[in-house]
Amino acid sequence: MTTADPTKFKVAKTARVKGIAMCVANLPGTQRLFFGSSDFKVYEIDMAAEKPQPVEFTGEGHQSYVTGAALAGNVLVTGSYDGRLIWWDIEKREPIRSVQAHGKWIRNVIASPDGKVIASVADDMLCKLWDAASGNPLQTLVEHKPMTPHHFPSMLFAVAFSPDSQLLATGDKVGHIAVWDAASGKKVSELEAPVMYTWDPKQRRHSIGGIRSLAFTADGKQVAAGGIGTIGNIDHLDGPSRVEIFDWAAKTRVHEISDTKFKGLVEQIVFPKSGNWFVCAGGDNGGFASFYDSQTGKVVHQDKVPMHVHKFVLNDTQDTLFAAGHDQIAVVEFKAVPAAPAETPATAS
Amino acid sequence: MVNTRFCGSPDHGVTRRSFLSVPAIAGVSAFAANMRIMDALKNPCLAGELKRQQKSVILLWLGGGASQFETWDPKPGRPTGGPFRSIATDIPSVQISELMPKMAQRLKTTAIIRSLNTRNADHGGGTSLMETGRAVEAAIDYPDLGALIARELGRADSQVPDYVSMYSETEGRHKGGAGFLGARYAPTFLTESMIPPNIRRQESLADVDHQERADLQKLLAKRFSDKRYNASVASHGMAYERVRGIMASEKLFDINQEPQTARDFYGPTQFQEQCLIARRLVEAGVPFVKVARAWWDSHGQNFETHLELCADLDQGMSALLDDLKQRGLLDSTLVITLAEFGRTPNINASLGRDHFASAWSCTLSGCGVKGGAVYGKTDPDGHKVEEGEMKSGDLFATIFAALGIDYKKEYHVGARPIPIVDFGCKPVTEILA
Repeated sequence: MTTADPTKFKVAKTARVKGIAMCVANLPGTQRLFFGSSDFKVYEIDMAAEKPQPVEFTGEGHQSYVTGAALAGNVLVTGSYDGRLIWWDIEKREPIRSVQAHGKWIRNVIASPDGKVIASVADDMLCKLWDAASGNPLQTLVEHKPMTPHHFPSMLFAVAFSPDSQLLATGDKVGHIAVWDAASGKKVSELEAPVMYTWDPKQRRHSIGGIRSLAFTADGKQVAAGGIGTIGNIDHLDGPSRVEIFDWAAKTRVHEISDTKFKGLVEQIVFPKSGNWFVCAGGDNGGFASFYDSQTGKVVHQDKVPMHVHKFVLNDTQDTLFAAGHDQIAVVEFKAVPAAPAETPATAS
Repeated sequence: MVNTRFCGSPDHGVTRRSFLSVPAIAGVSAFAANMRIMDALKNPCLAGELKRQQKSVILLWLGGGASQFETWDPKPGRPTGGPFRSIATDIPSVQISELMPKMAQRLKTTAIIRSLNTRNADHGGGTSLMETGRAVEAAIDYPDLGALIARELGRADSQVPDYVSMYSETEGRHKGGAGFLGARYAPTFLTESMIPPNIRRQESLADVDHQERADLQKLLAKRFSDKRYNASVASHGMAYERVRGIMASEKLFDINQEPQTARDFYGPTQFQEQCLIARRLVEAGVPFVKVARAWWDSHGQNFETHLELCADLDQGMSALLDDLKQRGLLDSTLVITLAEFGRTPNINASLGRDHFASAWSCTLSGCGVKGGAVYGKTDPDGHKVEEGEMKSGDLFATIFAALGIDYKKEYHVGARPIPIVDFGCKPVTEILA
């Protein structure tokens, strides 16, 4: 088994796809990916193939961009701007059930690490929890305000489970974060990251940004929020990529990372099961992946990815990320060089 | 002296001067209900002229370039269509973007043009083109639409501004101008405040003193012009005569004069409040009001941007149309949505749309418009116009025709005749009532 070394970053393979790949899930132990697209469809692609080709799921699917994909065992659940959640049989590539889950765009769909619960967030500003096996509704979490302070519709982009599946975090456009007890549906903390929301009161009179990604640390004690910092010209994603890490119980900010080397949205953050780093990815017109030290917040490694990354997933050995983005799927490897034989002097790394 | 006749009948011959000399007409400007006006209306030609002169235009300028895909010409399910659905409207055969649900129920008042091909996708060039209806020409400073309307629909004796432009300090703000028509038709331009600056009488000057000064100025000017009449002197005197009326118009810009129910009806955003002010202004007789709602230049995050801005537009525009209709003003007020261009079919890597002038949309509502009409057609992905291509000059001719203004009219700059719309352009009769 290899161990990860972010400094060994390389884009190992890419595959062109139709439209914009908005979300991705990975079947553990394989390079089989399931992704949702701006062409309203769900696909499987095996990136281990010599020439990976997307294979379309069939049956009655979504009616708008497919923006969330989560695997719970052998069941794939996708969510879309059409407000529907669809459970799919990944072997038959056919729908099992379809639920009108939200009144507005679904922004993300995740599965709890124990595989029992699906969480969806949408622009109706609700987070809904679903029984992964039956599709039955479990909880509706109400917290986020439907309108921004400037009288425009708000958006609920981000959701994350803690590694033990006990906690849930949700984050909205104006930078408000709620932490929840997943079982009871009770709010246990709230945090603010207002810099993620840029309101231009003068030149453009609208807003941009929002909390686009959330992730708990491996011990569940901290939660990281990703987005974009203050933007001068909000016509473009021309602001620093931004990550804020909070001790959610103490309601204190632990790290504030504003990174101008790669600008744009931090669309996803992942903390590996072990290791002293975390990785985030996103972009503006281009794409990036940045690895930071989880203790210090310092950069470990940063690099370009061939396209704006909308979502990515780490493989089960935590040394490869599969990224979904604009017209492409990319495999990015960061595998440590295997230890040298005993008789050979070790190389510095 | 040769009379300029308003219609073919000698019985109805009337000069503009004699028309304006009807005592009651001086009072038409703000609130046209008195019996002397009713008497004037018994003359059909005077009535026709009065009707024409009571028409107004409200231009909702979507600065930066709103997306036709997310407003008036959706392409759901196409690679270029974006994530939004199209929705049914009160016209069975017409669908628009789901981001405009209130306007979807008001298309009976509105005609959609889906076939503008204006070929200039630069902010500056596109703005100039769509403001004046023709390309920039070095030798001629063309007036913009507001100045043209002010010239054609404004009244010499009006006590209110002829052309008000509300363009807050947003990107792309552009004063526009009267060009060769002269400063008389330049806009009252509001940027920082919704009330015109320097409109108030100085506190150190009592109102009676101000009135007496005006009377003295008028007396001296009359003595002067009686002996040495020329157009410049007359224009100068006319400007002075309008001062007190325009000073008195301050309250027109003050939405605090409206009951809270009316303010709630329009909504709380700056654009929505400016729509309410626009209604107040046209009700008082201002012939042209521009409400600029910027900035739609969504190179990044086009969909989120339009979620916000279309919500603002849909609420403000629908409230404005409803209010005008309830007050009996919609038949005499033309409401236009227009920008310098539209946005690209292709969605870029920032989920944005870029500048695009080859196939885009605008709307005309109210006065002179065949509500529910849709003119022109783009291809299935919105890359090009398939039917009914329109240039900016054609749009201007259509606007003039809707208002009863002769689009073949010519001005003269020196000896050079300048047609009111660009050469070869003509109105689209299919969307005219």
